[in-house]
Amino acid sequence: MGFSEKFDVIVVGGGHAGTEAALAAARMGRKTLLLTHNIETLGQMSCNPSVGGIGKGHLVKEVDALGGVMATAADEAGIQFRILNASKGPAVRATRAQADRMLYRQAIRRHLENQPNLSLFQQAVDDLTLEDDRITGVVTQLGIKFSAHAVVLTVGTFLAGLAHVGPSSFQAGRAGDPSSVTLAHRLREMSLAVGRLKTGTPPRIDGRSIDYSAVQEQPGDNPVPVFSFLGRVVQHPQQLSCWITHTNERTHDIIRSGLDRSPLFVGTIEGVGPRYCPSIEDKVVRFSAKESHQVFLEPEGLNTHAIYPNGISTSLPFDMQVDLVRSIKGLKKAHITCPGYAIEYDYFDPRGLKNSLETKTIEGLFFAGQINGTTGYEEAAAQGLLAGINAGLKTQGRSAWCPRRDEAYLGVLVDDLITRGVTEPYRMFTSRAEYRLQLREDNADLRLTEAGRKLGVVDDARWSAFEAKRGAITSEQDRLKRIFLGPKEGSSSMPEADLVRVLGKPLERESSLHELLRRPDVNYADLMSLPGIGGAVLDAMVSEQVEIQAKYHGYIERQKIEVARNADYEEMYLPQNLDYQTVSGLSNEVQQKLNQHKPETVGQATRISGITPAAISLLLVHLKRGFIEQKKRKVHEPSNTAG
Amino acid sequence: MGNTDIIAAIATPPGRGGIGIVRISGKNLQQIAQVILGALPKKRHASLSKFRDETGLIIDQGVAIFYPSPHSYTGEDVLELQGHGGPAVMNMLLSCCLAAGARLAQPGEFTLRAFLNNKLDLAQAESVADVIDASTGEAVRCAMRSLQGEFSAVIHALTQALIDLRLVVEAALDFPEEETGYLQQADVYNKLKNIQAQLEQVFTSARQGSLLREGVHVVLVGSPNVGKSSLMNRLAREEVAIVTETPGTTRDAIRETIQIEGVPLHLIDTAGLRETGDEVEKIGIARAWAAIEKGGLVLLLTDSRLGRNAGDQEILDRLPVGVPLIRVFNKIDLLKEVPRIKEEKGKLEIYLSAKTGAGIELLRQQLLRIVGWRQHSTSEGLFMARRRHLWALAEAKKHLERAIILTEEKTQPELLAEELRLVQQTLSSITGEFSADDLLGEIFSRFCIGK
Repeated sequence: MGFSEKFDVIVVGGGHAGTEAALAAARMGRKTLLLTHNIETLGQMSCNPSVGGIGKGHLVKEVDALGGVMATAADEAGIQFRILNASKGPAVRATRAQADRMLYRQAIRRHLENQPNLSLFQQAVDDLTLEDDRITGVVTQLGIKFSAHAVVLTVGTFLAGLAHVGPSSFQAGRAGDPSSVTLAHRLREMSLAVGRLKTGTPPRIDGRSIDYSAVQEQPGDNPVPVFSFLGRVVQHPQQLSCWITHTNERTHDIIRSGLDRSPLFVGTIEGVGPRYCPSIEDKVVRFSAKESHQVFLEPEGLNTHAIYPNGISTSLPFDMQVDLVRSIKGLKKAHITCPGYAIEYDYFDPRGLKNSLETKTIEGLFFAGQINGTTGYEEAAAQGLLAGINAGLKTQGRSAWCPRRDEAYLGVLVDDLITRGVTEPYRMFTSRAEYRLQLREDNADLRLTEAGRKLGVVDDARWSAFEAKRGAITSEQDRLKRIFLGPKEGSSSMPEADLVRVLGKPLERESSLHELLRRPDVNYADLMSLPGIGGAVLDAMVSEQVEIQAKYHGYIERQKIEVARNADYEEMYLPQNLDYQTVSGLSNEVQQKLNQHKPETVGQATRISGITPAAISLLLVHLKRGFIEQKKRKVHEPSNTAG
Repeated sequence: MGNTDIIAAIATPPGRGGIGIVRISGKNLQQIAQVILGALPKKRHASLSKFRDETGLIIDQGVAIFYPSPHSYTGEDVLELQGHGGPAVMNMLLSCCLAAGARLAQPGEFTLRAFLNNKLDLAQAESVADVIDASTGEAVRCAMRSLQGEFSAVIHALTQALIDLRLVVEAALDFPEEETGYLQQADVYNKLKNIQAQLEQVFTSARQGSLLREGVHVVLVGSPNVGKSSLMNRLAREEVAIVTETPGTTRDAIRETIQIEGVPLHLIDTAGLRETGDEVEKIGIARAWAAIEKGGLVLLLTDSRLGRNAGDQEILDRLPVGVPLIRVFNKIDLLKEVPRIKEEKGKLEIYLSAKTGAGIELLRQQLLRIVGWRQHSTSEGLFMARRRHLWALAEAKKHLERAIILTEEKTQPELLAEELRLVQQTLSSITGEFSADDLLGEIFSRFCIGK
């Protein structure tokens, strides 16, 4: 049974990756279909009810700079906003929002339904259709065939998902949803390398059963931050506090007493879980000296009493979950509304992907989100956006796009995935980014919005707001570079008392305001208080940007040199059919690694572990030699197409 | 095809030849030429030029030839600086190129670039892989030699100490909501100071290794007729090894190289570091200053019969603070005194006679001591660091100093993290270990992370 309409792009899955992918392709004007097994759960936050955090907030801002929806949805659904690392430098500051699950879903749903070129359809996908090694469409559970030039798979933890609570386990995509078993089997047949990962969630608690007088309040920031570059505080719903409590020795004793019934410790779970987000049983065992662990009590929404106790994710049997929760201060009478569970799922070795997130083996098939071994809404959304863009580009006959490691966390994320693969669910951290000082939340738009405009994912409203901001930054920087102050009273009319007040000491030589702003102890507001130098810019986003760029100037110039040194390698493509055993001089180990990874570019090859500079040189020689021989053949061989 | 950043290396074999060549290749050499020569020389012309460092100080004079792309060895823009072949001068020149934006070339990299830019035909090209293989092999063997034993262990220990520190700094940045108070507990400042002290030690030892090949500048200063030439001749005559005057130059200050226990000392005789109108003398003085600032040492010679005088004081006043100095009181034979050594508050004085040779041995031993050489029964424990290693160590030191300042300021932990990343990057360019993922692994195994 074929569906009459033909699509450019089909997106399978309606989570954070799927929705961004579908929206991006549709924004580019591609006829797009989003297939989900349940329209009601589009944009569902299946784990903790929050968006952002260190590294993750950076990704959200990048998705936003490229016209994505996650930041806007967070602004519309956020019930507590904080800037983490506010006391540290701008590169590591990050926004985090607690979100009302229902409001978040509604926001996503509204954006999807109002997006031109995008159709929604509720059906589980069971199979993919191929023509040779090219994707042609998908087949649903009911046998409906949809055809398209590009398909983006964003099936999350649903591939052969297996949930664990104590000794019992059941097939599930996430709590309450079926898993995609048939599709998983089909994909396993397609010679894509498969692995198994694990993640988990804590039991949910009814907030009315919590003794708030025994726990510590954690209010949101004031003034309240916004997520999107176009966001305004008035978009936010009512704001709530979170709460902090702690486990204690008794909690730990309870956990230790039940390890023989823990699927994690008796070996039922074979998937690898993330080390940075361990279950509470894992924490107690591995860090036995620690007497107490933090638990964040996060409200799930304005119209629900549900509380998400962040920090006690567990797959212990349910009776033990009750005991351990009730041993925690403030939770003595806690009522659990939903048990915690661990879930194992299939992922595909992301080293089988190009940096466009297209699979190397099947043309037109893209993977995004947890299927690639990542974890987190933000990581999923960022990949979804990229896969959606590249699916769109593919069907437009345009070449693929992916930001470099020095341009975006999105670039770091994809490059890490495709050159190193994963050994545990991959989460973003700022320490993964060697160019961290350039990749800030505050300049995500300056880094990406122009590219997004060219790709066709940035609309007019965002573009004109961006252009105005960028223009204001440049003109203020130019102004500061033009105004000079001198050490002598004559050369500028600046009284020394003012200079000392702002600079902390008299001027030693003539300097521009811009140079002065680079000093660590001089800030923009103080500098602007000097008499007679003209008015400061009023837009805080603009003055902040001028100040940050001045402060980081030296470091960023140095990093730019580092980037430029390696830039050519990133543009140098390696033939995908190259057998590295034919490259003379390479060690066996290097040959094997390169054959296994099949890097797309020399730049990617340099980042595979164990590849030396000498190996890269040999590779260049091999490529060049092949090129010369080819050219020579062409000269000597008579042309077949005579006339 | 190929990277087009600017690379530089000494193209002539190590050791003391009449002429040494530093070759620079890359896209757009304008800036480097600007710094060193004042301007890019006329293409394919041998132009006599002064070579200057980034502060404008003259370090040598020689011939510069500019081969614009594509008509050059590598096919890129190539600049060749032909100077005096001594290793110290060549090193200074190379350092200037690196400071002006070039990067030290990998083994075989010039040939590789020539090949990639079609400068070699297919037959020649067949051998390129072998060249790279061989020169890499040689480099690896050299590195292995210098990485054996103590040196390797020390670098490894330093890297480990650095990782310990970095994981605390990084954890504080990436996990601010955890309750570990990493930074407060870590005592970053003292740990950094500790690492700095170790790094300093490695650097000194590594420099000793390079001393064996490259030597140290010794600048002789003093008023006329105090016996500088005779002291030089005496020191030189005592030695079996090379005694050469820089050939073919009258514009140069007198330079000789002697060896003491295998350590080459390049002696430079100057009239006294004073202002002069004479062009020849100017260059000699400038070079002496350069040598002093790059870690050479100064011998101030005085006629014992005159004793301390105003002329000497004038010279002393002009010396940079902290330069190693030996005051030599010559001509003790005329006062019928015995040779002796006097050390007070770190000030070293030697009384000797260049004419009779009395006290020369004292001077020799002090020279060795000051240039950082300690007597070794064998060469065991001596770090045969290659130039690359020394360069990396010096870079690491620089970033570590910044890191310490940032720790004192306490305001920008992300910049501290950046400096520490750079220290480690430069150190691992010596040993070739480590990636970012390891760091996260260390964090997760050390701290209980995750809510």
